[in-house]
Amino acid sequence: MAWRNLGRNRTRTALAVLGIVVGVIAIASLGMAGVALEQQATSSLGGLTDQAIISPGEDVDTDGITDAQAETIRDILPGVTVIPQKTNFTELSARNGEEANVQVTGLTNSAPLYDLSVGAEPTRLETGALISESTAQTLGLEIGDPIEYEGQLFRIRGFIASQSGFGSDGGGELVLPLSALNDQDDYNSVTIIAEDGDAATEAATTIEEHFNEDDDEVLSVTTYASVQENIRSFTDTLELALLGIGSISLFVASVAILNVMLMSTIERRGEIGVLRAVGVRRDEVLRMILTEAAFLGVVGGLVGAGGSLVVGVVMFNVLAGDPALALAWSSSRYLLYGFIFALVASILSGIYPAWKAANESPVDALRGS
Amino acid sequence: MSVIQLRDVVKRYNTEAETIEALKNVDFHANRGEMVVVTGPSGSGKSTMLNMIGLLDTPTTGEIFLDGRNITDFDEDERTEERRSQLGFVFQDFHLLPMLTAEENVELPSMWDTDVDRRERAVDLLERVGLGDRLTHTPDELSGGQQQRVAIARSLINEPDILLADEPTGNLDQDTGKTVLDEITRLKQEENIAVVSITHDEQLVEYADRVVRIVDGVVQ
Repeated sequence: MAWRNLGRNRTRTALAVLGIVVGVIAIASLGMAGVALEQQATSSLGGLTDQAIISPGEDVDTDGITDAQAETIRDILPGVTVIPQKTNFTELSARNGEEANVQVTGLTNSAPLYDLSVGAEPTRLETGALISESTAQTLGLEIGDPIEYEGQLFRIRGFIASQSGFGSDGGGELVLPLSALNDQDDYNSVTIIAEDGDAATEAATTIEEHFNEDDDEVLSVTTYASVQENIRSFTDTLELALLGIGSISLFVASVAILNVMLMSTIERRGEIGVLRAVGVRRDEVLRMILTEAAFLGVVGGLVGAGGSLVVGVVMFNVLAGDPALALAWSSSRYLLYGFIFALVASILSGIYPAWKAANESPVDALRGS
Repeated sequence: MSVIQLRDVVKRYNTEAETIEALKNVDFHANRGEMVVVTGPSGSGKSTMLNMIGLLDTPTTGEIFLDGRNITDFDEDERTEERRSQLGFVFQDFHLLPMLTAEENVELPSMWDTDVDRRERAVDLLERVGLGDRLTHTPDELSGGQQQRVAIARSLINEPDILLADEPTGNLDQDTGKTVLDEITRLKQEENIAVVSITHDEQLVEYADRVVRIVDGVVQ
């Protein structure tokens, strides 16, 4: 009966269902978007969580990390790779007239930090230079070409592969032996590489406890793991906001259903009066109309969930490169939430019209039709 | 014993302006196998009395007996139950559900009784009113007279004791009206039920076993 009643005004029913579909897609897609964004962020960071960067703290007079401090770091972190670095900026010019701004990094142990696309990875960088692939292309440089820095010449031994995501700077980088930056006494930063994310976090804590007593920040340590935490809490907030928006959309759809049900029951006053006159009980009438509302919710919810799945697969493909992730519980649960939300919202919207119809006196209903 | 009895029934309405007494100390009864026709001018209280008999409304004072049982103080759900099992209704406007077939319309009052299948009786009733070949037609495929006959069949689906008709021929032409009245009379005898009908139609009076005239809420 409920099904046929809905079929009487197909356009109106279809529009109400459409409202629910949009609402469900809004909630489910936005929910999944939050998950996808988090996925993208953490996967970009993925390879770097075992690293931490130590730089001079806020409360220190010198603007660098001393040799002594670097030694201490090595001592208190056995099993951790410690790479002190000196950095500067310069502008390189090439024979072809092109110029490029690069960050100059002086260190000894280059292998753990830089992947080379061309050239052999040196075990210790004592001579020669490494340069970003993109910068080399801009300046028309090849392996073996000389690079001048502060009056010294260095021969290019390898190109640093371009990286996307976090951990790479957008501009070019020139990596030279530590001796090239001898005019600087202290190190600008020290990068440490531990076994994994947890070990890196532990190492960070060890350093902070050793160096930073009494709220004096001598050394500041940043782990990618902590960056990841920040991102996660950001995306959590973002998710809530998106869900809020999606909920508003579904609320609007509920109002549409309320309107449809109300109009439908008012139009059917006479019929409902007849039902009551021939002995259909009030609760039976109520259930009939609630069933109609529930149908709208079920159909809208299913279509919406289907649509959201499509949107989700596309999103995960674009943002995280892995469309199958859309089916994982952390994201597909939003499909379920969307559906349940639609069903509940529809039934709630149907309560008032159903109650009104069921409790009208048959005499009035029959007379008024 | 009468199947329906109204004893000293008063119906009072309170509006903002005044108090209206639609029925004033009305006595009424109807027996099985008889057709009682209630006539009277507009606003005389005919409809109100029919609503009383049909348990669609409750008296302000007075008593109503159904098959000897005092049902005056029945609540809405109890009265609904009595309507379902003891009463059948035929309206001037037929009031069939447009999206149901003739057969489904006839079964309608029993549709919520999950333990009972009235399909056979529905088909039987439709055949008895001459619509055996129209079982799957929807109301828009039926003439006025045919629709009213479906309504009559519907009114009998739950084997009631009383059939209440509110201007049953009001929307029908003379000949069709006669056909419908013939049907009602025949079924009245076959099913041994009481028929109470209000009407302005002179024709009905000829079919009546008894005529009750009501003016200004008073039975004459």
